[in-house]
Amino acid sequence: MLKRNFLSRISRRTVIKGAAAVGALQVTSPFIIKALGDTPVKVGMVDPLTGVYAAYAQNEVTGAKLALEQINVRGGVLGRPIELLVEDSANDVGTGVQKTRKLIERDGIQFLIGDVNSAIALAIGQVSNEKGILHIVSGGHTDGVTGKDCHWNVYRVCNTTSMEANAVAEQLFTKYGKKWHFITPDYAFGHTLQQAALKDLEKFGGTMTGNELTPLGTTDFSAYLIKARAANPDVLLVLPQGGDMINCMKQIAQFGINKQIHVAGLQQELESLEAMPPEARVGTWMFEWYWKQPGVPHVEKFVADIRKMNFSKVPTARHWFGYTSLMTYALVANREKTLDGVKLAKALGGFELPDDVKLQPNKCYYRAGDHQLMTSSFVGQAKTAGKDDVEDLFEVNTVVPGDKTSPAESDTGCTLQWPA
Amino acid sequence: MSGEQARKLTVLVAIWALLLLAPYWMPPLGGYTALGTRVLVLGLAAMSVNFLLGFTGVLSFGHAAWFGLGAYGCGLMLKFIALSTPLGLIAGTVLGGVMGGLLGALIVRRRGVYFAMVTIAFGQVFYYIAFQWSSLTGGDDGLRPFSRQPLHLGFATVDILSDATAFYYFVLFCFALAVAIMGFILRSPFGRTMLAIRENERRARFLGIPVERHIWIAFTLSCFFMAYAGSLYALVNNFADPRGLHYSQSGDFVIMAVMGGMRSFWGPLLGAAVFVVLQDYLSSVTINWMSFVGLLFVLVVLFFPRGLLGVIRRKSEA
Repeated sequence: MLKRNFLSRISRRTVIKGAAAVGALQVTSPFIIKALGDTPVKVGMVDPLTGVYAAYAQNEVTGAKLALEQINVRGGVLGRPIELLVEDSANDVGTGVQKTRKLIERDGIQFLIGDVNSAIALAIGQVSNEKGILHIVSGGHTDGVTGKDCHWNVYRVCNTTSMEANAVAEQLFTKYGKKWHFITPDYAFGHTLQQAALKDLEKFGGTMTGNELTPLGTTDFSAYLIKARAANPDVLLVLPQGGDMINCMKQIAQFGINKQIHVAGLQQELESLEAMPPEARVGTWMFEWYWKQPGVPHVEKFVADIRKMNFSKVPTARHWFGYTSLMTYALVANREKTLDGVKLAKALGGFELPDDVKLQPNKCYYRAGDHQLMTSSFVGQAKTAGKDDVEDLFEVNTVVPGDKTSPAESDTGCTLQWPA
Repeated sequence: MSGEQARKLTVLVAIWALLLLAPYWMPPLGGYTALGTRVLVLGLAAMSVNFLLGFTGVLSFGHAAWFGLGAYGCGLMLKFIALSTPLGLIAGTVLGGVMGGLLGALIVRRRGVYFAMVTIAFGQVFYYIAFQWSSLTGGDDGLRPFSRQPLHLGFATVDILSDATAFYYFVLFCFALAVAIMGFILRSPFGRTMLAIRENERRARFLGIPVERHIWIAFTLSCFFMAYAGSLYALVNNFADPRGLHYSQSGDFVIMAVMGGMRSFWGPLLGAAVFVVLQDYLSSVTINWMSFVGLLFVLVVLFFPRGLLGVIRRKSEA
């Protein structure tokens, strides 16, 4: 009887004490461990994993994942591991904005990467700016991101539309002639490209024989191509993107126009070349990054690392964008020893990428005035078939440094407004 | 009060209690306030589609056009003319509603699949205008920069830009306003006429109801509601882009309406909630989230033609 009483009294107290102890453990002990550096630094990535840009977006994510692995092996950021949260923007502005708010408000990310789609990049740049989160636009090319719509917290890794145009123009002019004919997709992006290229052409003293405006979604380019051939230019510039470009290039090959006139375009991506039939892979183009760079340090290792994660396929420019975006954050945060958005954004102005991240021969740095990465353009020829590797579809002729392709800081239209 | 009325009242109280307390019960369940705001706006849009589809019986596949026009109207007002959130809302609603009303006069001459085709066609016209007219709309890159402005109520100023909860309640207020008007219209004699047209157009005609005119009025009202929802959407994103006008967006609205229950008043809101929340959660887990949303839609259409709300209602009645 006594024993039972004793037991029951003990057990009640034990329960209360036990509950208190467990409660305290829940609150305190992990907290202490967390304070020592086990809580991950959360990093968010918003990219259109579904929709027309899915292939590019998924490659950017793979690149970021490689960077994540390497950063965490080397001790993370300020001794804390990085956790990468990837969200699908579904190629829709509303969804992208929603996902960005989710990452910032609910998940508490410190840094944001994205998006491939320029409109979404601009829209989520507004959100990250409102919340004061450092943001690197990995793959949206429209000039505005580091131009008229620039923000103190937004940096960009990929080239601007103007840089793409400037990269190719000089080589085309000196090598292939001064009479150019344009095939331009009839919307803002196409017009920007065409005007940038035309400006270069006029600067060199060349002339435009004509500009064919093609509606988005054009499948039959024959009328435009016949007109272009009749104008007898030295160079035919093909500016449509995606499916339109593939259709246009196929028809150029069918008509044999590439044998009479030098065909060229501006930006080209390995993903697109691989999606094309071999006969359409012709002309002079600009790559934003290329995997075959003999003699440039660390490139081979990067290619090998990506192959391991990417069904043994080579990295494209998109892999490099994702990789560089996340690497930049880890590098600058570890150098500055802080996660504070404003301090890091200030520190990134003029920040130069080390050899094992830039993976290109020229100097590569973030410009302080407009937050644009001064990255090289790889100008060369598309190849119908790879010689040593099926994915070697491009022959690089020159690597133009970003300083040469980019308009002056004062011409970008960017005025940064720093928080007071 | 009859049992039926009491039941309706409890449902109504439950819905509003859920909506009013959303900022408090959502975060513990892994949600966040901005998600609730999006559900409200897309729910209102789906209810506007349903106003036409469920209560008048005509299917518009181009309603995103009026939604997007509302967004652009609101954005253009805030960007170029006046920094005022209410004015932006009015501008968007009027732009989308008036355009819808004007073109509706042409569209309502057709029925069935032709009606749906014509609405797609007109919708795409606005999509391409927004896409091409870069100097005004920002083209493919979207209309920016503009942002919702603090509300000046005379006695106080409400910051709806940075305070997510305050913005949720602002949107809930706007939502309640629209829903009240919509409910009032549906209970009016005009609302009954719409039902009569839905049930049997020929009989309605024999009864002397000017069917075309009534469908036009219903279409126009629906466009106003849609544009109003679009204006709110512009405020949610602080951005307007051409994809908001694209027919694929119209498809999403129709899916929400049908999935939730297209004959019921609240069904589309439930459909929008399911659609948005599913998208939000599944797309973080798998890139094949669309398959699951599509699968759910197919299942609902096959087995519960009255939508998710229809199932719940039948259960509660049984």
